[in-house]
Amino acid sequence: MTMKSKGNRENTKGRLMMFGARFVVYFILIFLSVLCLFSFYMMLVNSSRSNFELQAGFTPWFSTHFFENLSNAWNDASINIPRGMLNSFLIAACCAILTTYFSALTAYGVHVYDFKLKKFAFYFIMAVMMIPPQVSAVGFIQLCYDLKLTNNYIPLIVPSIAAPVVFFYMKQYLESVLPMEIVEAARIDGSGEFRTFNQIILPIMKPAIAVQMIFAFVASWNNYFIPSLILDKADLKTVPIMVAQLRSADYSKFDMGKVYMFILLAILPVIVVYVILSRAIIRGATAGAVKG
Amino acid sequence: MKKVLALVLAAIMVFAVASVAMAEGGKTLKFYAWNEEFKGFFEKYYTLPEGVTVEWVIVPSDNGAYQDKLDTDLLNGEQVDMFLAEADYILKYVDSDYTQDITAAGVTDFSNAYEYTVKAASDANGVVKGVSFQCCPSALIYRRSIAKDVLGTDDPAEVQAKLDSWEKFNAVAAEAKAKGYYMTASFAETYRPFSNNCTSAWVDENNNLVFDAQIEAWADQTDEFIKNEYTLTAGIWDDEKTAQMFADGKTMCFFGPAWYFNFCMGNAQDPEKGCSGDWAICEGPAAHFWGGTWLLMPAGTENADIVADIMNTFINNEEVCSKLVSEEKQFSNNKAVNAKFAADESYGSEFLGGQNDIAVFAAMTDNIKWENHTIYDQLLNEGLQNNLQEYFKGNVDKETAMANFFKYVAEKYPDIVLPE
Amino acid sequence: MRKHKGVSYAKWGYIFIIPFFVVYILFTLVPQLTTFYNAFFENYRSGLKQIGPNYVGFDNFIKLFTPDKSGSIGMIKYFGNTVILWVLGAVPQVAVALLLAVFFTSYRLNIKGQQFFKTVIYMPNLIMAAAFSMLFFTLFSPIGPINQIILSSGWADKAVDFLGMRVSVRLLISLMNFLMWFGNTTILLMAGIQGIDQCLFEAADIDGANSLQVFFRVTLPLLAPILVYTVITAMIGGLQMFDVPQVLTNGKGTPDRTSFTMVMYLNNYLGTSKNYGMAGAISVVLFIISASLSLVVYKTLSRPYKN
Repeated sequence: MTMKSKGNRENTKGRLMMFGARFVVYFILIFLSVLCLFSFYMMLVNSSRSNFELQAGFTPWFSTHFFENLSNAWNDASINIPRGMLNSFLIAACCAILTTYFSALTAYGVHVYDFKLKKFAFYFIMAVMMIPPQVSAVGFIQLCYDLKLTNNYIPLIVPSIAAPVVFFYMKQYLESVLPMEIVEAARIDGSGEFRTFNQIILPIMKPAIAVQMIFAFVASWNNYFIPSLILDKADLKTVPIMVAQLRSADYSKFDMGKVYMFILLAILPVIVVYVILSRAIIRGATAGAVKG
Repeated sequence: MKKVLALVLAAIMVFAVASVAMAEGGKTLKFYAWNEEFKGFFEKYYTLPEGVTVEWVIVPSDNGAYQDKLDTDLLNGEQVDMFLAEADYILKYVDSDYTQDITAAGVTDFSNAYEYTVKAASDANGVVKGVSFQCCPSALIYRRSIAKDVLGTDDPAEVQAKLDSWEKFNAVAAEAKAKGYYMTASFAETYRPFSNNCTSAWVDENNNLVFDAQIEAWADQTDEFIKNEYTLTAGIWDDEKTAQMFADGKTMCFFGPAWYFNFCMGNAQDPEKGCSGDWAICEGPAAHFWGGTWLLMPAGTENADIVADIMNTFINNEEVCSKLVSEEKQFSNNKAVNAKFAADESYGSEFLGGQNDIAVFAAMTDNIKWENHTIYDQLLNEGLQNNLQEYFKGNVDKETAMANFFKYVAEKYPDIVLPE
Repeated sequence: MRKHKGVSYAKWGYIFIIPFFVVYILFTLVPQLTTFYNAFFENYRSGLKQIGPNYVGFDNFIKLFTPDKSGSIGMIKYFGNTVILWVLGAVPQVAVALLLAVFFTSYRLNIKGQQFFKTVIYMPNLIMAAAFSMLFFTLFSPIGPINQIILSSGWADKAVDFLGMRVSVRLLISLMNFLMWFGNTTILLMAGIQGIDQCLFEAADIDGANSLQVFFRVTLPLLAPILVYTVITAMIGGLQMFDVPQVLTNGKGTPDRTSFTMVMYLNNYLGTSKNYGMAGAISVVLFIISASLSLVVYKTLSRPYKN
């Protein structure tokens, strides 16, 4: 009897605390969401306003030019937006796949095997990670000219195979989730090293791969500086180059409403990719092979 | 996962091959520009010979990307058949071996072009390397209603008589203030009227940085304007300034050429809050120009004949130049055509209350000079304004502002010698 | 065991890392080494004319650390700015991200609408930095909505120049960096927590551990490698801070260069004059700073959890 009522009291207390905790948590989440959504709300509002209205200053309410801006942006005579989105998507998808696959492969190589240059390889990659990317940009562009790789997607895609930051993440992830026993077990089962990586390790790393795929996709999608110096053929241009081109349009064609609409359009595919991949983060964990 | 990977890799291959193997039939010319303005005029008014196509390389000028791209391609010997340049940096290309004499290619008649536009495209030895398709005399643009209140008249000739020197301009600023108006809306509004009339270049023959008396005069005037609240502290492109162009704006004067009406005065043309028709132009205290786009002929082109024909068309073809004025609202680089419109009594701008702006601009062109320019102008003008703005806003003292300007110069141009 | 079987797996280590190193050396290392090498040369462009390269020893470094008339050293001032901007943004970023990651992965809390929240907090990262800064610029401009509110409610009789005051500019930059990156960090940490064997949480639950105990005894130690990663990359990202202050202050780092970062400084040398000499010298300094800071973080954070 006493035992039971004590248990009940604890239960009520626990439930109350849980209720309080949930309240605080939801409050924080909603507050942060509002903060994040605010800029999107502004973008939406701005993409519904005409150029004149935008130059006149800010208003918090929607205007009536949303569909006008949409059709202006989509049908722009000299800037082929659907084509740009296709180009950007192709490049970003390739980058995301290559960068995660090869970084995982490299991280696995350094993490699992013992070889003479192992330590060196790790510290080397750690060190080069610190060099600001701006410093190699100019040399990189010159290299592309020397190799006749301008107006080509190779210099935008292939270098993503070697991403020190992604490597570092994969390495740290393996350190926290991969017991060596799995590798040993696979070997005893007669699995080749390459097959072990592709069929056993990659699924374990799914959450990490999904995360880095998202980041790589977004980074490539929004990359302006290097592509703007490598691509000059209209058919090959990517979304950020087109945004810059719209913004620098001459006065007769300058239309801020169109610019905001285009920025908005440019975000949609990334959100779709994000939602798909972020599911994999959760699925990957529950279906993980590490269990047991 | 693997299938996706394979598919994507296959796609890369296809793209890589496709971009290499783009076989081109006929002749293709490559033109470089930072926006589509001239491309539009070109496609409308110029017909290319049979079998010739033009590929436009358009790189926006954000963060100097256009010049970066152009320079890299010129230095690497890529195919460039014609490129566009602005007044502020044209000298960098004209005074180099990367552009060539256009008179040798067949552009010889400059009798209708305005002298300053020819001089701007000529190197130190007077060799002409390009032409401008527009002429950009910059006028004093004033609000008629405010002028009536302050000066008692909105007639361009009478307003000009009351504002034809800086002393008068400054005195009127005080009167405007007394009536509750601003004379100008940006601390840098009068920069170009001063800087265009410098008697020395930014950098002397020993590469020393030189402050011309005109620049000092601008700084002094702005100092006084800010102290007395004759002007706002906004930058020349800021929304805070353009908001003054609405009907309820309190600013009397702006400075700008023909392109300024459409490019920067959208607020004034707003059907609800604007004040179209309440504007007029006159020469103002000092003749000057602002902006303009030149077509230059690179040394490496193998199509000089076609490029020369394009240049000739845009300065000497009467029909094309007339259309630039009547259809595109440009002030063309052809004296005869502009004179025709200036003399046409039926021609007038609704925005300017019926005033014939071509006549005003045409009359101004005689006083415009192209003198004392250097390859450094663009960033020195920009840097000085940006750094002094902090002083004018009261954020730093003048010494700090100047020290920051010198730091900026040292970062941008290591070869300029700074004053001790 | 391995030796007994006579199988050496070492060659697989090399095979697996070769693609990475080949691509890295070809596309990145060569340009980077040239940059460092250039730090010892006078090498820039004046117009279309190339000056140098002329060997100048340590002159570029000396120039970098020579005080100006007022006695302040540019490089040190910009380093200070960068650190301040970074701390203001990154500390809340990592703290909030850690908190959210725990919220999202907690079975007890069982948060509803997770997908929605996770999508929303990551969204600011999707906007191009330039567009994001453009929005903030309009919001806080002298005629922007914030000033309209301030003026109409009578809190001030003149528009507040948010982009002209040291405190507000720094706070704005930090706020933007926070908003852009906290969702990103949350996802990283979440993936890290998801990777932890769920049995451990269940076991802790059965043993009657409370949330705090679970967090400090289970989550944090097992998350340590990912946390080290987060802190180090946040630090490197912070030291390389560029686009937000660049766009927000139009490359000027106003007021009085107090929001001017090291990479903006580097960028000033690289643009226009292509001054590889000075840019190279700054890169070397930047590299030394980030490498030593990262080493310290790596050693201190990794040690307690290594057993």
